[in-house]
Amino acid sequence: MRTTKKRPLAIAATAATLALALAACSGGSDDDAAETPEVGELGQVGAMADYEVGTTFKATEPVTFGLLYRDHPNYPLKDDWRILTALEENQNVSFDIQSAPLSDWDQAKSIAIGAGNAPEIVSVTYPGQEVQFVAGGAILPVSDYTQYMPNFTDKVERWGLEGDLDRLRQEDGKFYILPGLRESVRPMYTYAVRADIWEELGLSLEPATFDDFAADLAKVKAAYPDQYPLSDRWSENGPLEATLNVAASNFGTAAGWGFGEGLTWDEGAGEFVYTGATDEYRDLLAYYNGLVADGLMDPESLIQEDDQAIQKLASGQTFAQLTNDQEILKVRTAFEELGTDGDVTMIRVPAGPAGDLLAGQRLVSGLLLSSKAKDADHFLALLQFVDWLYYSDEGLEFAKWGIEGETFTKDGSGTRTLADDVDINGLNPDGEKALNIDFGFHNGVWMLEHGSTDDLDQSMLRDEVVDFVQSMSDKELAPVPPPAPLNELEREQVSLWQTALKDHVYQNTAAFILGQRSLDEWDAYVSELDSKNAQQYLDVVNGAQQRFADANG
Amino acid sequence: MVTVDKLTHLDERLSKSTVRAVKDTRAYTAFRVVNGTLLVIIAAVTLYPFINLAAQAFSSEAYINAGQVNLWPKGFNLTTFDLVMGDRMFWRNYQNTVYYTVVATLVAMVLTTTFAYAISKYHLKGRKVFIGIAVFTMFFNGGLIPNYVLVNELGLRNSVWAIALPNAISVFNLLVMKSFFENFSTELEEAAEIDGLSTYGKLWRIVLPLSKAVIATMILFYAVAFWNSWFAAFLYMDHRELYPVTVYLRNLIAGATNVDGAAGSSEATQIAANVKAVTMLLTVLPIVCLYPFIQRYFVSGVMLGSVKQ
Repeated sequence: MRTTKKRPLAIAATAATLALALAACSGGSDDDAAETPEVGELGQVGAMADYEVGTTFKATEPVTFGLLYRDHPNYPLKDDWRILTALEENQNVSFDIQSAPLSDWDQAKSIAIGAGNAPEIVSVTYPGQEVQFVAGGAILPVSDYTQYMPNFTDKVERWGLEGDLDRLRQEDGKFYILPGLRESVRPMYTYAVRADIWEELGLSLEPATFDDFAADLAKVKAAYPDQYPLSDRWSENGPLEATLNVAASNFGTAAGWGFGEGLTWDEGAGEFVYTGATDEYRDLLAYYNGLVADGLMDPESLIQEDDQAIQKLASGQTFAQLTNDQEILKVRTAFEELGTDGDVTMIRVPAGPAGDLLAGQRLVSGLLLSSKAKDADHFLALLQFVDWLYYSDEGLEFAKWGIEGETFTKDGSGTRTLADDVDINGLNPDGEKALNIDFGFHNGVWMLEHGSTDDLDQSMLRDEVVDFVQSMSDKELAPVPPPAPLNELEREQVSLWQTALKDHVYQNTAAFILGQRSLDEWDAYVSELDSKNAQQYLDVVNGAQQRFADANG
Repeated sequence: MVTVDKLTHLDERLSKSTVRAVKDTRAYTAFRVVNGTLLVIIAAVTLYPFINLAAQAFSSEAYINAGQVNLWPKGFNLTTFDLVMGDRMFWRNYQNTVYYTVVATLVAMVLTTTFAYAISKYHLKGRKVFIGIAVFTMFFNGGLIPNYVLVNELGLRNSVWAIALPNAISVFNLLVMKSFFENFSTELEEAAEIDGLSTYGKLWRIVLPLSKAVIATMILFYAVAFWNSWFAAFLYMDHRELYPVTVYLRNLIAGATNVDGAAGSSEATQIAANVKAVTMLLTVLPIVCLYPFIQRYFVSGVMLGSVKQ
């Protein structure tokens, strides 16, 4: 009986709690609607009054910023690194470092942010990773503050990155990550071919089109009829992921590593279509199917392990293979080990039916600012410092090369040379100290994407790689699709569809290339995609695109 | 003199196989052979991974990748050992591991033993509630972030207590100890009580000395768990000086397998393959060495003839 008496009270209490909770929620969202803050509203301690492009940042009084540091075991953090002492001397900036190991960096980051315990600056974050934190409100919509970051806005404008940046915008029209910027897409992958064979047969190292490349392979086949001219790799998680990624943009589509969410923007129709169902994607598969059918590409390319593929190239069983600027070194080592006579070289990626295009990200690993930074009394100084270190030419050079006269020297033509006792990646083998291990420079936490600018990016590359990058530099950039940010519910819904669709595309990509399934069955395959909710998926995405366009002009 | 004679005589008799008192039956001999073979095979299967691991730790990457390393190192090299053991931080972190393991095991043992002893007494009021509270945490917990917030708010981060306190009582171990204490002879305790021992006196002077078997088991369980654990330390420690060696080595593996844009030097990539082997060897060795010392308690703890019934 006692329980019956108490029941109304309990109900009332529950109701009151619920009401309170609801009130708290709605109260929160009102605050979020605040307009872009005026400069006077930001914490002014240490901030420079006349900070602009070309100004060397120096806080007017010593400031300390919280930093979530990614500790790389190959260059473990040291408190007395020159980069830290130099920042303290010249910028008046020191860090309160909370460090987390590289091995579990992403988890450390999400726990710290999720628990509201993240320091002001959260380093090493890739675009897209910030999405999960947006709803929690623990990270700052940095787009509200870029007006106080002159170098950032200057580079975005000069390098034409507005479209890319728009892709980062969330449903509320703001972006939450300060990405690393790239002046241009850095091509890394291409086919490595046997230079000696190519020369012997008089073939070009810059084939104009993919068809020309196939014709070259056919000539190799004619000269060595018992061998496959091309035996490829990077099929461990999907068919020819790297190769298809490199080729796809020239066929006007996306595939392999670049397949992403499977969306292609159809400029004519003004809507997204499903990549795996487009004619361009079919043409790409038809090309590789042709190589297999003509005996030019080893069918094992789709199943073998990378090391196996390298062995084939290095032992002279095959003459071409996809590579990148690091892997080609491995191939050469394998040549030496096996004592095979011959050398490999990287060709220029040919043009395709869609043109001479290059796809790739120009927004790369960057950083997040936690919401509590906004209330710090040195907030404006923090913005200026971040802008200087990560986006000014001076800051970028400092993070990558260190201090002129100490770790490197610069001659009249602007060529940088490491100091006699300093080495990085074998650039100066006689140097006993390493730029990253002993000084803290050339460190992913403070150096975004090897320095952003073409000049800095290429300043430490081998000649061979610089040649390759420059041969690729006249390729046109593939267009950037418009933003279509989904809300949380939609994201959850489409992720199920995405996975099923992508699995089906990958499965059939392999089957079509190997000829296990005839390309005559393409229409049947497209309708299979429809039965896996391709259309529903597109409806959601196109709806989101429309919604975003309406809300943000 | 007589005894010696007798012994010699006995020896002689024993050495004569013809006069053995009980002759093994054919079936028993067959059983012994099968049994022996089986045990040798099991031992070999268990031992092989350890030996293989040790062999890999001293081999060069090329041979490991080619799958040629079995029982003996090929392409003998000590690069990884040099790299790992030459690092001051490695020893610092090893020291932390020992410290954390000792402190956490100690705390865990005190709390688990006293809790288990209390709830093993049927006359304890609210006994079932206490058991219920403990068992509840076996199936439900607050989740990662609430736990993190709790530890953070309690100011435990960056101290040994962040590792020792949240994991102090393993409910599984608690229940094992509880049932052990429940089976403990009540007569013995009553006798001690009549002789004037208090509750703590009974626990300290009678129960615990006779519970070496279960205590040794629990110490082993806890110590191994704390020795191997890395997650709590990774979660609550913000500075590398505070990491246990498990986090250090875990990070080392990540660095060896992760190409961070700037590719490592050839020496750094050389270690990639056998760094895992070295890592495992270094973590596992000390705790493996602990087993033989604790093992003897497993047999000697059986209580025989303490009470006549």
